[in-house]
Amino acid sequence: MTAGDPRSQELTALDEPGGDTISAEPEQTTTAAGREALDGPFNTRQLLRLDEALRVADQQTGLTFSVYIGDLDEPVRDSAEQLHKRISHPETAVLVAVSPNQRVLEIVTGHEARKRISDRDAKLAALSMAASFAGGDLAGGVLSGLDQLATHAGNH
Amino acid sequence: MEVRIIAQPGVLGAQLSVMSTLLIFVAIPVAVIVVVAALVHSGSERNRSNRRYRPGRPYDFAPIWFLAAPEQVTATGGEAAQPAERPAIEAGIIEDSAGQRVLPGPVGGASDRW
Repeated sequence: MTAGDPRSQELTALDEPGGDTISAEPEQTTTAAGREALDGPFNTRQLLRLDEALRVADQQTGLTFSVYIGDLDEPVRDSAEQLHKRISHPETAVLVAVSPNQRVLEIVTGHEARKRISDRDAKLAALSMAASFAGGDLAGGVLSGLDQLATHAGNH
Repeated sequence: MEVRIIAQPGVLGAQLSVMSTLLIFVAIPVAVIVVVAALVHSGSERNRSNRRYRPGRPYDFAPIWFLAAPEQVTATGGEAAQPAERPAIEAGIIEDSAGQRVLPGPVGGASDRW
C-alpha cells in the first residue's frame, strides 16, 4: 500500500515535508492554548505533571477531571457550578475551581460523580489543597487534591 | 622583513603611566562587572521567580482551565455513549454516614478558603 501524497497527510506538526523538524522548532507543536498556559503561573515541569495527573485520574476513574484557576464571580459557588455545567456530560465531571485572588477553592462533583466522591471526601481533598495553597504551592496543592479525589473515586 | 624588538627588560613594570593603570585595574574590571550584571538582568522572562503565586500577593494571570482531553469535552459534543452506560435505577438520597447536611441540588462537592 502506497503512502499517497505526503502533503495530504496530517501526521506531524510540520507544515510541509522537508521543513524544519520539531526538535529544531519545538514551538510548532505548541498550540495557542499551550502558549497561553506557559504564560501562566506554572513552569513547564509543573504543567507536565498536571497534565499527567489529569490523564491518569481520568483513565483510572472514568470520570472527567478538570482544573480551573482564575477569578470566580460572586457568589463563588454558583459561578463554579456554571463552569461545571459547561463541561460536556457534567454528571460525570469533577471540577476543581481555584481563585487565588479571592483565596477560595470550590470542588464541584456532578450527579454521577457524587456517588463515587462523597462530599466528605471532597472536603478532605479541599482541606489538603487549601493547606498547600496557603503555603504558596499552587501546583502541588492541585496535584495532591486531584490524587485524593481520584483515589476516593476508585477504579471504574 | 626586519623585526625590531622595542620592548626592554623592566620597562613595563617601571614606567606604567597613570592612564594605563586606570585602564587595566579599573576600566577593564568595571567592564566585566557590567557585562555580567547585564547578562543576569536580561534573563528569560519565563524564569522569573516572582511568577509563582504567593498568598497575599495579587495574582494577575489570565484564567486557565485544564482538561485531560479538551477536544472531547466541548460544550457541543452530544455523544450519547456515556448516558447509556448509566444504571437505569437512580440511587436514593445521598447522605453522610454521620448524618451531616449534604449540599442541596444535583451537584455535590466542597468549598474551602485559605
